[in-house]
Amino acid sequence: MIGARQGALSGFRRLIAGAMARDLCVFALPGIDVARARGIDLRAANLRLTITPRHASVLLFLGSLPKRLEDAAVVAYAQMPRPRAIVFLGAGDLPDGLHADVIGELSQAGLINALDELTKIISEGAFAAQVQEFDAPALQTRIEYTCPMHPEVVSDHEGNCPKCGMNLVPREISAGTAHAAHATPEQEPAMPPKSPPQATANHDHSKHTSAEATAKYTCPMHPEVVSDEPGSCPKCGMFLEEVKGEADHEGHDHHHDHSKHTSAEAAAKYTCPMHPEVVSDEPGSCPKCGMFLEEVKGEAEHEGHEHHHDHSKHASAETAAKYTCPMHPEVVSDEPGSCPKCGMFLEEVKGEAKHEGHDHSGNDHSAHQGHDAHASGASADGIEPQFMSMIELTEGQPVSPDGLIMEWIDVPFGPFFPGLPGGLGLDMSLDGDSVAKVSAHSLVSAGELLAEGATPPEKFVERLAAMSPLSPVSYRQLACLALESAAKQEVASSDATARAAAVERERIASHLGWLANLGAQTGFAMLERRATNLELTIRDANMDHIAALDPEIASLLARLRKSHMLRDKLSGTGHIDHCSATSGPVARASGKDDDARSDDATYIGLGFATVTGSGGDAAARLEQRLAEIEQSCELIAKAEHLSLPEPAKIGAASGEGEAVVETPRGAARLTLTLTDGMVTAADIGTPTAAHFTLIEAITQHAEIADALIAVGSLDLSPWEMRP
Amino acid sequence: MTIAIVLLAVVVGAYLVAVLERWSVHGQFSLSGPAVSALALLGRESLLARTPDRLFFEAGPILLLVAGLLGAAVIPLAPGLIITDLATGALFLNAALAYVLVALIMAGWGPNGAYGLIGGWRFLGQFIAYAMLIVMPITAVAMRAESLMNTQIVLSQTQLWNIAYQPLGFVLFVVAAMGLAWLPPLDLPSAPGDLAGGVEAEYTGVRLGILRLARMVIILVMASATVTFYLGGWLGPVLPAWAWSAIKTLIVAALMLFGGRYVPRVREARYLAISWKLGISLSLANILLVGVIALVVPI
Repeated sequence: MIGARQGALSGFRRLIAGAMARDLCVFALPGIDVARARGIDLRAANLRLTITPRHASVLLFLGSLPKRLEDAAVVAYAQMPRPRAIVFLGAGDLPDGLHADVIGELSQAGLINALDELTKIISEGAFAAQVQEFDAPALQTRIEYTCPMHPEVVSDHEGNCPKCGMNLVPREISAGTAHAAHATPEQEPAMPPKSPPQATANHDHSKHTSAEATAKYTCPMHPEVVSDEPGSCPKCGMFLEEVKGEADHEGHDHHHDHSKHTSAEAAAKYTCPMHPEVVSDEPGSCPKCGMFLEEVKGEAEHEGHEHHHDHSKHASAETAAKYTCPMHPEVVSDEPGSCPKCGMFLEEVKGEAKHEGHDHSGNDHSAHQGHDAHASGASADGIEPQFMSMIELTEGQPVSPDGLIMEWIDVPFGPFFPGLPGGLGLDMSLDGDSVAKVSAHSLVSAGELLAEGATPPEKFVERLAAMSPLSPVSYRQLACLALESAAKQEVASSDATARAAAVERERIASHLGWLANLGAQTGFAMLERRATNLELTIRDANMDHIAALDPEIASLLARLRKSHMLRDKLSGTGHIDHCSATSGPVARASGKDDDARSDDATYIGLGFATVTGSGGDAAARLEQRLAEIEQSCELIAKAEHLSLPEPAKIGAASGEGEAVVETPRGAARLTLTLTDGMVTAADIGTPTAAHFTLIEAITQHAEIADALIAVGSLDLSPWEMRP
Repeated sequence: MTIAIVLLAVVVGAYLVAVLERWSVHGQFSLSGPAVSALALLGRESLLARTPDRLFFEAGPILLLVAGLLGAAVIPLAPGLIITDLATGALFLNAALAYVLVALIMAGWGPNGAYGLIGGWRFLGQFIAYAMLIVMPITAVAMRAESLMNTQIVLSQTQLWNIAYQPLGFVLFVVAAMGLAWLPPLDLPSAPGDLAGGVEAEYTGVRLGILRLARMVIILVMASATVTFYLGGWLGPVLPAWAWSAIKTLIVAALMLFGGRYVPRVREARYLAISWKLGISLSLANILLVGVIALVVPI
């Protein structure tokens, strides 16, 4: 056994090895969702599923992994305690450096045979006199140093933070990760290179006093200390920081004090006129309402306090907003009252108004008010502005909407996280336990649609189906329809109905799989068990069998609809507007009448009518999927046959074809070009691609569990992403 | 002698709770299952996280076990079968179980990993939710018994068990006990779906074994405390006293373990809100009601 533990196998160890052979805890790659979709029931094989590789003794590969996932698999293996075993099911290769103890075929029988063999291997080889150290390139890490207060400061060696003088703390990062941008602390990684220069502050600097104009170096803690030369602060000894651009006011392209901006703020360049919380680096449309984003000309939210004294020099011409919430600076009102977000009394804002000659949008205003409230709050507490207060220590640090300043931690979730689809990676910055920043990526994104230039139609269909292991039938149907449209072939209506039934069966299975994931994510064990069993049964069930399962499905749906605690858990989480670019159940749950099936003659023949919900939150998406399971059961009952889509004989036809299929996750669209019976070009649009962009908006400021529920409720398939 | 018998009872009880737990989580009923798993854990490497807080990492699971055993010391299994029948036994139980919080925060902090860290701090929030709901129902129980001595509390239920005398307190106490033992749906610090094991995530091998054993002991202690306070402890006909304690404790443990299967995990904010707004009001109402009944009805 390759992953054996050091030690001679004798006496007590023999007993322990026997126990380990009977106590198989498995961690499945790329995920339990893929195992279900491939009809493999790990529990029926008497395996216990673990939630982390740390608790696992068997690493189970369900087929070979996409290239980008291999490193993660190596790390998962390295995290497992010895003795550890690898079982590989299916054809293909393991990631470099890993060797399977047992190889089996990718089926339930194959798994059970493999486990029988594994039991023998473990009971005889769990301990070995000689064991090899496991090492792989993916495990190489290096240490870099960063400032606890200024995460943008990164250095290769120990030292002090150039911004605040604190000791840099070591941090371990993967050696493979490119961190070139952080190479020198002098750089300002907080300013992404892609941000357009006009997006930075555009003040009329003729109003500034000359004292500031000549100030070149200042203390980060004592803004009153200014010097022409670099050096240390006479009050606290910290390094003086350079204030760039202050002296030179001709060019308005000025970057002063942007070092204080957080990346999130500095990156905020475009915002929605209706949803000021929507900010983006790039022009585009609002994910909430679809309006064009407007460029923010002034500064985005400033927490930087050295700005405060500048502003006091400005004359107040008019007072635009009079009351604001001390916690939610974006809340402004002409009248006293309480904050609609937190219920606190609004504070009066005196004198803060439009700056002469400044080109402010509404968003800027709110930012100034927030800033003002912050400063006045500090003085109201009796803290002198110069005092080394928490406010100043965390100056320039991002501040949560709740006003609490906490240390941010970066936590990766995925690609093998138990509460998320396998292959989906979420890198979250957590502020306490709420999400401050998130970036999502797929590690299993589909490769090229065409393997090598011209592809035979049969191979193309298989390839497309294999690319989406979570819903292969829908993509098979999509490929077949597009091929037929390109070859101008007609399908007999009975065949079309039988295929539609297969797609509907997969929809039921997929939604049940989503329910199983929800059960696993929320610790709702009964839901997970029942949905898993139903999904495994229905994936290959024939018409009669599906009809026989109807009562069982109906009872599960009724049970879920009655669950107050489930509704309570999901309500209000992950709200999505009906204007967003969504499709599938996610769109329909927010009231959007969007279903590719409603234009399909086959479905119209079966009496299809779009089911829509309302609410647009995770609870609505649950309702929607429950309703769709019912609807699909009815559609299958009306169809008389069920058969998997098979590509028709295309011959040597040429032409352009297009097809849309409503997959379980939404509408997928495929265009392809046939040349002499071979597929020569193809392009695909998948629902997950659109839903991926919603992740940021629906997880923002959410508690971590709520954020994961919100992401889970989108039912993403990372396999549908294109690189 | 008494100490040895009680410790043996704790070991056997914790093992049976582990059988129940395995049944509820993995759907496998197996009397030998936990023994096999425990042996397997002994054989696996007990990995040390890369840059741990070694003291907290090692001490967390052990302190958790100690807290559980301290709690077990004041639970009467039968007349005379108790390690120490303190005059303030019911209060001592609270004091001992306060270390569960400390131990979990240490276990979460120790490995220097994000999931554990969040899990540990989550339990701090959870403590705020359950702590008052443990103490206040016990107050009502002590009012009826006119004593904080656990044997006295059992004897006070000779006429009528407290589950019938103060059913509201029973419900509140069981829910709070589930929160203390972080059982689903209140398993926020380990939360498999959103923290991948949380405080348990970085423990392997023997250390994981201790952590799991400690949790079983805590579940056992909470179940037997429920029996002592509300189900008449060892009282019952025909069977010997210790058998009644055992049967009642296992039934309560099974209820607490299986209840969580049928509901999703509660959101932390929601748990806090319900515990304080609803739970504490009900606890106060319970104390008032019990006070009135104790004055009016002489049972």
